[in-house]
Amino acid sequence: MAKNNLTIEFCGLEFNTPLVLLSGCVGFGDEYTRVEGFSNKDVGAVCLKGTTLDKRLGNPPHRIMETPAGMLNAIGLQNPGAHTVVEEILPTLDFSETRFIANVSGSTVEEYEEVTRLFDDSPIDAIEINISCPNVKEGGVAFGNNPDMSACVVEACRRATNKPLITKLSPNQTDITENARRCIEAGTNGLAVINTLMGMAIDIESRKPVIGNNQGGLSGPAIKPVALLKVHQVYQVAKAHDIPIIGQGGICTAEDAIEFLIAGATAIGVGTALFYDPTVCKKINTGLIDYLERHQLADLSDLVGTLTLHD
Amino acid sequence: MNSSYRNTIFVEDAEILQHTGYEGDQYLIRLRAPKTAEHAQPGNFVHLQCDDLLPMRRPMSLMRVKPKTGEIEILYKRHGHGTTLLSQRNVGETLSVMGPIGRPFKLENYHRYPLLIGGGVGLPPMVYLAEHMKNLRGEISPFVILGSEVPFPFPLKPSQIIIEGIPNGVIATMPLLEDWGVACRLASLQDYPGCFEGYVTDLARSWLETMEPHQRSEVEIFSCGPTPMLKAVKMLAEEYGLPCQVSLEEYMACAVGGCAGCVVRLETETGPKMKRVCVDGPIFEAKTVVFQ
Repeated sequence: MAKNNLTIEFCGLEFNTPLVLLSGCVGFGDEYTRVEGFSNKDVGAVCLKGTTLDKRLGNPPHRIMETPAGMLNAIGLQNPGAHTVVEEILPTLDFSETRFIANVSGSTVEEYEEVTRLFDDSPIDAIEINISCPNVKEGGVAFGNNPDMSACVVEACRRATNKPLITKLSPNQTDITENARRCIEAGTNGLAVINTLMGMAIDIESRKPVIGNNQGGLSGPAIKPVALLKVHQVYQVAKAHDIPIIGQGGICTAEDAIEFLIAGATAIGVGTALFYDPTVCKKINTGLIDYLERHQLADLSDLVGTLTLHD
Repeated sequence: MNSSYRNTIFVEDAEILQHTGYEGDQYLIRLRAPKTAEHAQPGNFVHLQCDDLLPMRRPMSLMRVKPKTGEIEILYKRHGHGTTLLSQRNVGETLSVMGPIGRPFKLENYHRYPLLIGGGVGLPPMVYLAEHMKNLRGEISPFVILGSEVPFPFPLKPSQIIIEGIPNGVIATMPLLEDWGVACRLASLQDYPGCFEGYVTDLARSWLETMEPHQRSEVEIFSCGPTPMLKAVKMLAEEYGLPCQVSLEEYMACAVGGCAGCVVRLETETGPKMKRVCVDGPIFEAKTVVFQ
């Protein structure tokens, strides 16, 4: 990968650009290459779809619903299972174009650990832990909503790999900074902030939820202000430990990305914006280079966490 | 790396060349999208940005494609927020079009008597497929049945093409199909002149019943329309043991296979599967589809 002033270091890995395509938006890394003008070379990393130990069919339709300035989704972790991903999909990916990050999901701590172990023995560059899955042993409460359970998952995954671990934090909890602190202590190397906000849409004719799973995760520009605040808050904890953050939530433009960098993100997650414009990454990269030139900055790290609060 | 599908979907700023409204909140929009037009096949769709204020795109099936002039035509019904905004767009403005997308209908090796059944906004893919089939007339005899509960978005014309097994007085056709020499009849419960009063599947059954068994075994069905109609078409196909392809729709986000948001449930020989309408479909074998 050619060195340029968009190159960043994240968890010891060099990313060609700060952009990370988010898990669940780009399948297993190759789907968007259908689109002329899209290239995985335009992003620093691609997070693969959430993967569990056994294959899952996922949720019944409807799985998505447009909402003002965003969308709800409840896909339900449809995936072919970790063995198939490692043995059949990873060998087809072109690792010369970008970095690939696995996304590990599970219903139990043991499942997270086992899936992480399978990816540890693969060419994958890093592993993201999706701690927002329901814990079946605790009545379906999401692991990520509770700092103890979050730390437990991270510790288990840490035992299973020496590859960089990135923990994706949920905004659906009382104090995200406490969760971040516990995940850092448990051995995560990076944090992704934030996952979707839980929401609902109702069909007023049938009086049923539109989403087959009843509720879904809200993404898109609607959640950008929430995500930005969470990144700012988590950065206050993470910077002391030198733990980098992927800022994500409604980022659509270079200006959005720059806000997240200033708030404390080192890398920038792009998800829903791809659905609007599949060639958006090129435009964000161009805007970032333009900003660096206008502000005479050498590289993006000069921006990270430079927010000055009002007195 | 699966390179077979790389760079097969194009993002184009498409100029609106024509935008015509019809009764029943129906609109025909003609766009200049040369790359899509060059590569599209019957059954494909495009993912349209209806308005700058509404970034989520809408999947719309193609009705006509003119590679020589780089034009595509879409027939849509104003239904929700997106199509309402789309209906307000003017000739000369541009829309972002992603296309062509999806697996097409079967394109060759047809049975002798293809039966195309379209209902409501499921009409466009049938017209596209009929245009493809018209070039094969002589080898095959396609018959198109179109149904609508709002006035058809074209003037009704008495057909000169005689079709056995059709009730007396059912003579109305779509002028475009008549010009192509493709047999067509229309159905509706709204008592439109020359139209069959009943469901498209009732008219199809009437036609199938008068065929000799050896002829009937040479029928295959292609269909697009609302879910209750597709369910009835699937049952009809199963009753007569006929192959049947259906075009499906579902709420869609990425349209390139990335998000798995637009799945339908299939029952296959290897068990249940959730398949993406955008890239695994929108065309599926009816016998595998589990209609909700």
